[in-house]
Amino acid sequence: MKFIGIVGTNAKKSYNRMLLQFMQKHFSDQAEIEILELKNVPMFNESKDQSNSPIIQEFNQKIEDADGVIIATPEHNHSIPAALKSIIEWLSFNLHPFDGKAVMIVGASYSVQGSSRAQLHLRQILDAPGVNASVMPGSEFLLGKAQEAFDENGDLKDNRTIDFLDSCFAKFEKFSDIIAQMNIPEDITYEPGTFKVTAVGHNGDLPMEVTLSDDRIEKIDIDTSSETQGIADVAFKRIPQEIIDGQTLNVDVVSGASITSNGVIDGVAKAVKMAGANPDILKKRKKSAGPNKQNVVEYNTDVVVVGAGGAGLTAAARVIQDGSKAIVVEKFPAVGGNTVRAGGPMNAADPEWQNKFQEIPGERHTLKEIMEIDESTIDSDYLADFQALKKQIAEYLQENEDKKAYLFDSKLLHRIQTYLGGKRTDLNGNKIYGQYDLVKVLTDHALESVKWLEDIGVKFDKTQVTMPVGALWRRGHKPLGSQGFAFIEALKKFVESHGSEIITDTAVKQLIIEDGKVCGVIARSSDGKKVIVHAKAVILASGGFGANTKMLKQYNTYWSNIDDNIKTTNSPAITGDGIRLGVSAGAKLVGMGFSQMMPVSDPETGELFSGLQVPPQNFVMVNQKGKRFVNEYGSRDELTKAAIDNGSLFYLIADDKIKKTAYNTSQAQIDKQVEQGTLYRDDTLEGLAKQLGMDPEVFVDTINKYNSYVDNGEDPEFHKSAFDLKVKVAPFYATPRKAAVHHTMGGLKIDTKAHVINEKGEIIQGLYAAGEVAGGIHAGNRLGGNSLSDIFTFGRIAANNALEDM
Amino acid sequence: MKLVGIVGTNSTESTNRRLLQYMQQRYGKKVELKICEIVDIPVFDEPEDKTAPKAVQVLSEAIKNSDGVIFATPEYDHSVTAALKNTIEWLSYTTRPLINKPVMIIGASHGSLGTSRAQAHLRQILEAPELKALVMPNVEFLLGRSLQAFDDDGKLVYEDKVKELDKDFNEFISFVELTEKLTVNSKFFEENQKFSWDQVANGEDM
Ligand SMILES: Cc1cc2nc3c(=O)[nH]c(=O)nc-3n(C[C@H](O)[C@H](O)[C@H](O)COP(=O)(O)OP(=O)(O)OC[C@H]3O[C@@H](n4cnc5c(N)ncnc54)[C@H](O)[C@@H]3O)c2cc1C
Ligand SMILES: Cc1cc2nc3c(=O)[nH]c(=O)nc-3n(C[C@H](O)[C@H](O)[C@H](O)COP(=O)(O)O)c2cc1C
Repeated sequence: MKFIGIVGTNAKKSYNRMLLQFMQKHFSDQAEIEILELKNVPMFNESKDQSNSPIIQEFNQKIEDADGVIIATPEHNHSIPAALKSIIEWLSFNLHPFDGKAVMIVGASYSVQGSSRAQLHLRQILDAPGVNASVMPGSEFLLGKAQEAFDENGDLKDNRTIDFLDSCFAKFEKFSDIIAQMNIPEDITYEPGTFKVTAVGHNGDLPMEVTLSDDRIEKIDIDTSSETQGIADVAFKRIPQEIIDGQTLNVDVVSGASITSNGVIDGVAKAVKMAGANPDILKKRKKSAGPNKQNVVEYNTDVVVVGAGGAGLTAAARVIQDGSKAIVVEKFPAVGGNTVRAGGPMNAADPEWQNKFQEIPGERHTLKEIMEIDESTIDSDYLADFQALKKQIAEYLQENEDKKAYLFDSKLLHRIQTYLGGKRTDLNGNKIYGQYDLVKVLTDHALESVKWLEDIGVKFDKTQVTMPVGALWRRGHKPLGSQGFAFIEALKKFVESHGSEIITDTAVKQLIIEDGKVCGVIARSSDGKKVIVHAKAVILASGGFGANTKMLKQYNTYWSNIDDNIKTTNSPAITGDGIRLGVSAGAKLVGMGFSQMMPVSDPETGELFSGLQVPPQNFVMVNQKGKRFVNEYGSRDELTKAAIDNGSLFYLIADDKIKKTAYNTSQAQIDKQVEQGTLYRDDTLEGLAKQLGMDPEVFVDTINKYNSYVDNGEDPEFHKSAFDLKVKVAPFYATPRKAAVHHTMGGLKIDTKAHVINEKGEIIQGLYAAGEVAGGIHAGNRLGGNSLSDIFTFGRIAANNALEDM
Repeated sequence: MKLVGIVGTNSTESTNRRLLQYMQQRYGKKVELKICEIVDIPVFDEPEDKTAPKAVQVLSEAIKNSDGVIFATPEYDHSVTAALKNTIEWLSYTTRPLINKPVMIIGASHGSLGTSRAQAHLRQILEAPELKALVMPNVEFLLGRSLQAFDDDGKLVYEDKVKELDKDFNEFISFVELTEKLTVNSKFFEENQKFSWDQVANGEDM
């Protein structure tokens, strides 16, 4: 993290400066703190604007770029120093870098009560609308008797003071994180149309007409006949102009015409609401940068890719490998989409490698169950493969009848499991399963994708084969380094180092279609620039729509209910943009009613990797009464449905050994979460039960039974089919969980060459789709680890065919 | 009676200045109201020699020679302007002319809320030990919508506000007269002129 520290005085000697310097040193392993001085800041003067002077610009830029600001304020005359007030005024006048920024206040002063009055004033000041900082509540760090507090090295002497500073700072890091999340720009979609509203004017009602397209405020017409001429005229011209230029409701009112200004803003807000969108999103947006910055940038390339997630970067990399040119347009400031969030390994049957591992309890049972499936339940397109698989399994079982065997796998098993895992019936009785030709391509080429990724620079951990959460078999190829990020890091490096441009902060809004052929995109950057990319082919790789609750609800046919405030594991960027773009070119949609919930998500944030998230063979799930309630090895929606039936909130139980199998965490993180109360730990099972408000007897009995099932390799209660560790080594842990939206299986209809198919069943020329934006493969349920195989396989296929069709 | 009115901003356009000018106009027969500006006061940076620059000395003299001070303060970001705070820091650090001086706080703002938060801050600031002004209690004159408040002749157009100002101003006159009797030869005064934050630093905490 990167913080800015402001010394709240311009004096030569300052204990507040010493305090910041101490923090800079003391926290250097956790965060970078750059200290800014007020010495050269001119006195604020409204009539002598110096916002563009280098010193004010430096403060502005550095604060904008920082994750948070720490202000160390002395107390002068019961308030903050004028010098500090002056910089805040500069930064609340024409510039607003503090807007939404996380701020921590500390203070040193001579007297014992420290700088409490100044801190209180500063809080009020930072809360003013022009400043609008997000000041961390509570945790006042006041250093009294500052002249005695430091030793000759400038270090704080008192350990308790340091401890308190540590805890304030830890809180601030978390606080900055949360604030940063809140500041991620939210997307907005309107019901297009012209809306008639009336706003309050100076002399009564102001009739207005606001025209909205699906993502823009296009026009604002105001009937000004009732308003007095003069100053209000400026408001009628300037305010609508600024609203449209910046697509924002965060505009400065015209001085002297504040009522009319606010009237116009309120009127547009009303129209936005009528169009089904939330005007607060527009109020939180940046101010318009002015019309002169509204320029248009044009590019020409071979292939333009929409979205810099796994599928998009893969497609771009393939285009480059071919010697052609690619441009990737990415909505967010950072690349990676949902792919960086992926924490599991990627599926690919690689028997040569898997056969080196031993089978684990339960796996043979799973194979036997497949053998016993009634063939009449297998859809005819899969039947031949199913029968061939049965033969393979029979041979394996026979070969290893009385001995512990190696781990079995084959492309056929992967294919049939993808098919079986995706088979679902929705609330209307409609059956769905994965489209055979697509599933075949996926399972036939997944291993090739692993090898291709190795060429790009991804390194895999060959020493273990795991089963991702929500998968059915151990065939996960796990990259070294942090999972999803490892793929994106390598791909991004490859794409950028080979001269391809990734244009970030820019959302594609429209396809350019000429004579029925897609030949480019029109995008808009977050600062209002129009970006036009002309290309011979467009690859949509913008992910699914898991973060678009409205769209989920609109198409849902699977869940009995989706809450308006349901959490999601997805990046907030994943709002179905590519699906809308495809539809605008006539694309057919498939399987849109089916979405996947992640049963094991953080109840507060939707996050997957909080607490102890372990491989499913180590899941021990108990409900709020302390009883198991489901086969923990079941599919995601079995788990979700069971969780909903058990009151939504449930716990994952772990002991010290199971803890060690958790993904993406560290002991420090675990300790922090226990301290924050988002993870429970106890030295005894009874104690843990008490912390969770369960009957200890019931809970201990549940765990004892579970342990005995692990010993016997069989679970007579819920038929959990694979086990690993027992729950027996203290300390014990409980991670609270709830279901959150995780994946959308539906999307654009594609063929095996990743062409997007229209309603008539024809190829849409020039348009390709890969990854979660496309539908048809995972059908009613996507297996854990199959998405990564999907995006890296179809990302390559889309690029290959785009190049071939040229 | 001699009063000083301090314009709490360095801006060339100020409705607080207009408010003081209006008071000068309206009460000019009763009292002598001298309007002081703070625009020339340099940036305060705790100079070691503790001497007041020229502009601070001039202002300080005017305050010393007056019977009472009226602060007309804008509100910037929920508090007083940096420019006014800067002026007060100079006064508290060098000449301390405000000790035991009767003070009235008024404020004009463009919005309808008035300057209540800035006035509350100013009150707390003026009560700090090295300032120890005698701020008139219970009176808070807030002029909202101040851009529309004055006509071309500089007259206050809101009638209710004119009445309120008359009442508050008369009360201030009485307050000045009353405190004059109370504070002659006050010991309090000397102690405070000696007060220094260094004392606190040396362990003589209050
Ligand atoms: C928490 C989590 C864990 C997961 N774990 C696994 C796992 O272990 N194994 C597995 O196989 N799958 C996993 N998945 C699913 C998998 O990560 C995704 O399905 C997959 O990454 C989707 O890849 P993608 O390239 O299609 O889209 P994404 O990676 O989501 O990328 C889409 C990109 O498009 C951008 N974009 C969107 N709209 C626009 C626009 N209008 N203009 C420009 N850019 C746009 C987005 O900002 C984003 O960067 C997980 C998902 C989540 C959320
Ligand atoms: C003009 C002036 C006014 C002061 N007013 C206060 C005050 O109101 N309260 C207080 O605790 N300290 C006050 N002090 C002393 C401060 O404790 C001291 O200057 C500062 O807070 C210590 O931090 P620093 O040395 O890092 O600036 C004042 C100092 C100056 C120069």
